[in-house]
Amino acid sequence: MSHPLNPPGRRRRRTLAVTATTLALGLALTACSGGGDSSSSSSGGGSDDTGAASGAPVELIYQSWVPNIDQAVDAFNAAHDDIEVTLETITAGPDGGYAKMLSAVQAGNPADVAQVGYDSLPDFMTAGALADITDHVGDAEGDFTAWQWQSGVFADRVHAVPQASGPVGQFYRKDVFDELGLAAPTTWDEYYAAAKAIRASSPDRYIAAFAYNQAPWLIALAQQSGAQWFTVEGDSWKVDLTDPDTQRMAEFWQRLVDEDLVKVEPDLSNEWYADLQAGNVVSWMSGSWAAAILEGNAPDTAGTWAAAEMPQWTAGEHVSASWGGGSANVVLQGSAHVAEAAEFALWLNSDPASVSILNSVGAGWPAVADHSAIESLQDDPDTFAFFGGQNIYDTFAVADANVDTSWKWPPLVSTLYSSLTDNVKASVDGGTPLVDAFAATEEDMVAALDAKGINVTS
Amino acid sequence: MTTTARTAAPAAARRSRTRHRGPLAVLVLPFTLFFVAFFVAPIVYAVVQSLFAVRSSGLGLGPPTRSFVGLGNYLQVLSSGDFVASLGRVLVFSAIEVPLMVGVSLTLALLLESGRARWPRLFRAVFFLPYGVPGVVASLLWGFLYVPSTSPILQGLDRLGLTVTPLASGSVLLSIANIALWSFAGYNMLILVASLQSISGDLYEAARLDGAGDLAIIRHITLPLLRPTVVLVTVFTIIGTLQLFVEPLVLRPLTSAISSTFTPNLAAYNAAFAGNDSNTAAAMAVVLALVAFVFSFGFLRLVNRKGNRAW
Repeated sequence: MSHPLNPPGRRRRRTLAVTATTLALGLALTACSGGGDSSSSSSGGGSDDTGAASGAPVELIYQSWVPNIDQAVDAFNAAHDDIEVTLETITAGPDGGYAKMLSAVQAGNPADVAQVGYDSLPDFMTAGALADITDHVGDAEGDFTAWQWQSGVFADRVHAVPQASGPVGQFYRKDVFDELGLAAPTTWDEYYAAAKAIRASSPDRYIAAFAYNQAPWLIALAQQSGAQWFTVEGDSWKVDLTDPDTQRMAEFWQRLVDEDLVKVEPDLSNEWYADLQAGNVVSWMSGSWAAAILEGNAPDTAGTWAAAEMPQWTAGEHVSASWGGGSANVVLQGSAHVAEAAEFALWLNSDPASVSILNSVGAGWPAVADHSAIESLQDDPDTFAFFGGQNIYDTFAVADANVDTSWKWPPLVSTLYSSLTDNVKASVDGGTPLVDAFAATEEDMVAALDAKGINVTS
Repeated sequence: MTTTARTAAPAAARRSRTRHRGPLAVLVLPFTLFFVAFFVAPIVYAVVQSLFAVRSSGLGLGPPTRSFVGLGNYLQVLSSGDFVASLGRVLVFSAIEVPLMVGVSLTLALLLESGRARWPRLFRAVFFLPYGVPGVVASLLWGFLYVPSTSPILQGLDRLGLTVTPLASGSVLLSIANIALWSFAGYNMLILVASLQSISGDLYEAARLDGAGDLAIIRHITLPLLRPTVVLVTVFTIIGTLQLFVEPLVLRPLTSAISSTFTPNLAAYNAAFAGNDSNTAAAMAVVLALVAFVFSFGFLRLVNRKGNRAW
């Protein structure tokens, strides 16, 4: 009884303690792609290959988190005898998917093709994780929307094939708006008036959530107001989150929050889904792909929704913004089959049948320039029915054409996202001005870029 | 006779040890290999990583370079207000959770082992049950109960005119403490019960013969004999609370009160997995390990200050 502790117990607990502290690294180390030895999947089942005499097909691994994208991968495999792609479904990039890819690149055994958002492409360049695929896909430039193609071009070398963008529009409950005699707000002044009318109509009802957790949403609002947070001046980044355009946006939402006209709650949360289903939150400003989220999570409200462009700061304009830019497919540095990987990335995002699949599974607004051959954009009965028969793609075609394409994403975008949401959270939580949250984010970004050795001014 | 036996024993042991060196090595080898590979090596690797940094130049769009920065990451981490605040936060959390945990699990154990509890086996299992629920699931579950639009309890209270906001910044730590208590009190109770059962019945009988009541028995017999186990449970809890991670990670999307650097572990996780900066994350992890080390051994020193004093 004189020993204060039971030694084995203590040891085990301490093991646990220190193990946990090193867990992050351990995970990062083991996060390598788990070999492709079982890739002879059913998709290659039609084994009467007539002309593939050149031996076994090249095996590629493709990492993505787009739900149901396996349909497009299967279509590729069915159409190609010489390349066999295995889809590895991973966590969404910002939630750990990127960390997995970057660790694998460092360890020297990455997947061949991966899903990376436009906003994170500079981060991947900073990490030296993208293969130069100019020689393999450079000729296809004309097939894609110019600004989307450019988001993967660094120093005139192509490092990504664009897949889709997320032009932002308003999704709103047309039945509720109609009942109150409201049309979809076309200006922010109208939006404010609509918010007031909706708030007055029912004790639990709000026009929208103020989604303090959603950096891409906050950024889209600033972008649409005309802000340019990151610009290049010579060999240096200039960071500016205190410009008049960001300020007028922040002050506008400050007023809505202060007057209790928007519900301060995180979007895509249980709470928010419950409010959406109950009709307590009657609109959502989000990317075109969000239609699929609404359909999936509020099925009982089918037929009552409609889509419209974002409200404008100046009446009569059509200024839009994009949700986190969009999404691209890249060939990761270290892939043993860069040519084949680039071929796959290009086919996946330019073949009309494949793009049609991508559009209907909710990958986003297709990056290809010519939409006439994309079947699911012409007629998408389920989606149109959910929106009371409206062809919502007409709305997003206008939105996509009006995205400010000169917006630049900086390196360390994950720091931008976490700093912005932390600061906006703190502002909402502590009742300090929203404008200050953007100023604090500017400081954080300047400090973070500087600490990384990147040239920066504010 | 006894003296010769005593001096002979070590020599014999030494001889047999030499003889058994081969088989011993074989038996110890698997453990040693795995211990080194999955325990020592990652620690060493983390410490080494924490001394390096990956730097870019210019616009940061070219390949980065990795360089030795000595204690640079540590200076950066310790001069970051957010990280220091997160350390302070878990210390506050620890100050709330440790007494609560020890008190509750001790009370439950004493009640179950009082000899007067009804169906002690059943309740032991019931109290222990939450420990079997994985931390993530427990946090999700409580997350639903903490959000007004999904919580029947909060809705009921609201109808009674009581508005409770468990996830507001003033109460979120207590809400997390509640989840941790729910998950681990039964586990700690079980450790205490095991220890209680090893106390000889003769002692209780003797005390009772001497006229001691229930409370006096607890005070003078049970608690002193339980002391090592209580100390153990306390140290477990100190270390566990400093490493707070799963609960805030899961609750974060539900509230504006939990930032990405709410606890040191959460900060390290976000540095590594969102910020792709495993060097800074390693430095944070090492700092946290040192703090946990200081506090758990500090506590042990405190309670063992003068030999085997009661408390």
